[in-house]
Amino acid sequence: MIRGRHWVAVWLLAFLATTWIVYARQTASIRAARELTDLRARRANLEGHRADLERRIRTAESRAVLVPRAQARLGLHLPSDSEIVLIPAPGGSR
Amino acid sequence: MAKLAVRMQVVEFGVFVGLALLVARAAQVQIVQGRRWAEEAKAQRTERIVLPARRGTLYDRHGTPLAVTQETYHVGVAPNELRDPAADGALISRRLGLAPRSWQEALRRRYAYFAGPYSALEVQPLRAVRGVHLEAVLSRFYPDPGVARATIGRLGDDELGGSGLEKTLDTLLAGRSGAAVVLKDRAGREYESPARVIAAPVPGLDVVLTLDAELQEIAQRALDDALRRMDADGGDVVMLDPTSGEVLALASRTREGSARPSAFTDTFEPGSIAKIFAAAGLLTLRRVSPTDRVSGEGGKWRLPGRTITDEDPQPSFTLADAIRVSSNIGIVKFAARLEPDEQYAILRDFGFGTPTGIEFPAEAAGRLRPPSVWQRPSAASLAMGYELSVTPIQVAMAYGALANDGVLLEPTLIREVRGGSVEGGAPGTVRYRHRPEPVRRVVSRDVAAALRELLRGVVERGTGTEAALTNFPVAAKTGTARRVVNGRYAAGEYTASFAALFPAERPQLVLVVKIDNPHKGSYFAAQTAAPVTRSMLEQALAARNVALDRARLSTAVPRAVGGATPLEDDGGVVPYLVPWPYHPDSAAVGSRRAVPDVTGLGIREAVRALHRRGFRVALRGWGAAEHTWPAAGDSANSGSVVTLFAQPTPPRRPRR
Repeated sequence: MIRGRHWVAVWLLAFLATTWIVYARQTASIRAARELTDLRARRANLEGHRADLERRIRTAESRAVLVPRAQARLGLHLPSDSEIVLIPAPGGSR
Repeated sequence: MAKLAVRMQVVEFGVFVGLALLVARAAQVQIVQGRRWAEEAKAQRTERIVLPARRGTLYDRHGTPLAVTQETYHVGVAPNELRDPAADGALISRRLGLAPRSWQEALRRRYAYFAGPYSALEVQPLRAVRGVHLEAVLSRFYPDPGVARATIGRLGDDELGGSGLEKTLDTLLAGRSGAAVVLKDRAGREYESPARVIAAPVPGLDVVLTLDAELQEIAQRALDDALRRMDADGGDVVMLDPTSGEVLALASRTREGSARPSAFTDTFEPGSIAKIFAAAGLLTLRRVSPTDRVSGEGGKWRLPGRTITDEDPQPSFTLADAIRVSSNIGIVKFAARLEPDEQYAILRDFGFGTPTGIEFPAEAAGRLRPPSVWQRPSAASLAMGYELSVTPIQVAMAYGALANDGVLLEPTLIREVRGGSVEGGAPGTVRYRHRPEPVRRVVSRDVAAALRELLRGVVERGTGTEAALTNFPVAAKTGTARRVVNGRYAAGEYTASFAALFPAERPQLVLVVKIDNPHKGSYFAAQTAAPVTRSMLEQALAARNVALDRARLSTAVPRAVGGATPLEDDGGVVPYLVPWPYHPDSAAVGSRRAVPDVTGLGIREAVRALHRRGFRVALRGWGAAEHTWPAAGDSANSGSVVTLFAQPTPPRRPRR
C-alpha cells in the first residue's frame, strides 16, 4: 500500500511530468512556428527574386530593348512582308 | 486558560470567516462573473486578425503575367532595440533607400515606421537585425506597367478594383479573407506561437485575358511612334480576332502620354470608314448592281442644305469605285436608294448606337439617331460617316462582322477564368472559357464576301495602297473626318482612321487605327493611319508568338509559295524560318481532342505525352508536372498550345 508520504511524491512526480510535457509541447510549437516563419520568409524572398528576374527577362526581351540592339550590334532589321516567307506545311492546312 | 480558549475560538472564527469570504469571492468570480472575466482575459491575451486573401493573377493569352500579387513589407524600427545603432542604421537606411537626414530623424523617434512597401529582396538582410519589425502585406504588381495599363486598370486606395478590368473582375479576383486568433502578451505584442485559424483565406481566381502581350507591345510602340512623328493629339489602336470576338491588343495614347481607355469610352465621327455599311445595306436589299453607275458631278454636288465634294473627282462611279476612291458623291447618290429606316437599321444591326457589351466599366454607346429626328441632310451625312459617333471598339466589331461572314459577335477581353480553391476544386480548374457569342447575322455570307472584295479594292487600287503588303492581301477602308470641337467642326482639325482585315480572305485579324488631329505632314488617313497599319502587320508577321495562324496564311499566299516567289527574288534567302517538325496552328481545326492528365510526371514524360496527343507545349516552372492549361480532360484543338505548369518535387530519400 502506498502511504501518505508516498502519495505526495507520486503527485509531485505527476505534476512535474505534466509540467514538463506542457513545456516540451510549447517549446516544440514555438520552434515549429519559428521555422514556419523562416520558411515563409524564404519563400517570399524567392518569389520576390523570381518576380524580379522575370521582370528583367521581359524587359530584356521587349522590342524596345531587343530591336535597337539587334539593329546596332548585328545589323538586323525588322523584315518587311516581302522578306517573310511562310512555308506551307505538308498536309498542314486545308 | 479560559481566556486563551476564547482567544483561540476568536482566531478560529476569524480564520473561518476569512476562508468563507475567500470561498464566496472565488465562487462569485468563478461562477457568477466567470464568463465575463474569461472573456476579458481572452480579449487581453488574444486578438482576432484578418488573413488577407491573395488576389488572383491576370495573364495574357499565352500565360504571361500582367498583374500579380506579391508579399511585401512595411518596416518598423525601434532605435533603442538596435544592438549597434551605427552599423545597423547604415544597413537599414541603405536597404530602405533612406536619405541620411531622414534616418537621423527616425532615430530620434521612439518607433520609426516606413510604409514602403518594400519587396522581400529589399528587406531580406534586415530580418536578422534586432529592433527591426517587418509587417507582411500583399501588394499588387504589374510586371510591365506600360502594357495595356488603361485596359487592365489599377486598384483603388481600399485595395479593391478601382478601374479597368481590375474593377470589372473584382469579385472574381478578390477572393475571400480569412480569420485567425493569435496570442498576445500584456504589452499587446504577438507571441511567437502559431495562430489558430478560424477560416482560411480563399485566394481569388486567376483570369486569362484575350490580350496578346506581344501584339500589345507592337500596337503601343507603333501608336507612340505615329503620334510623335505626326505630332498628333492622340490615337487608338484596336486589334481583334474576328472569328471569336477576342480583343488581342488595345492601345490608347494622348499627346501628353496618358493612357486613357479611349477605345471604349471616347466617341468620334468615323467618316469614310462607315461608307462600307451603306454599301452593305445596298447589297443586302439589292438596290444596286455591279454595273450601276452614278455621275461624279465634277467633284462638287449641291444638295439642299449641304454641298458635297470629292477629293478625287471622277466622271462616274460604280459602287466599287465609290468605295475604292472613297467618293462622298458616289456613296451619297447610291445611299439615296435606301429608305431612312433601312439606312438606320443596317447601321443599328452593325452595332452602332449601342454598347458592344465588352467587360469594361463605362463603355460608351456612341450616337445613332433614329430617322424620326433626322434633318434634311442626315441621310447623306450618315452615308459618309457623319452625324454618327462611334467608339474604336464598335468599328472593330462591325468590321469583324464583315470578316466573320456577316455575323456580328460580342467582343470579349476574358478568355478563361481559373482557380480551384473555391468550392474545393483542384488548382487550375477552368471555371469559365470564352466561346464566341453571336449577336446577330447582319448580312448574308455572300454579301459579306462581296463587301470584303470592295475593301480589297481599296488597298490594291484605291486610297489604302499605303497599307498594302507584297505577299499578303489586305482589305481595308480609309476615313478622314472633320473633328467636332465645342459642338462645331473645327477648321483644319481631322480624325484619320483606318479599318483593315488581314488577310483579305478568311481574315484572322481586324485592325482599327485612329489618329486624332495629326499636325505634321498630311492629315489624310491614306498617308497617316494606313502606313501605321502596314507597319504593325509586318511586325506581327515577323513575331514568333502572336496569335496568327501561319499555316492558314501560307495557303492564302499562292504568290509566295509558287511562281515568282520572294525566295527567288531574294536569291534564296529565307529570312523567317518556321520550326521543323512543324505543327501548324490550324492543323486540326475541327479535330479537338482531350488534354491528357500528366500530373505527377516528370517534365520530359509530360511533354512527350502532350506531343504524342498532337499539342504544342509551353513550359512554366521546373520539376514535376502539376497541371496544364487547358486542364486535363478538357478538349483543345490539336496543334494548339498547352501550357504545362511544373513544380519542384521534394528530394527522394535513398532506399536502404
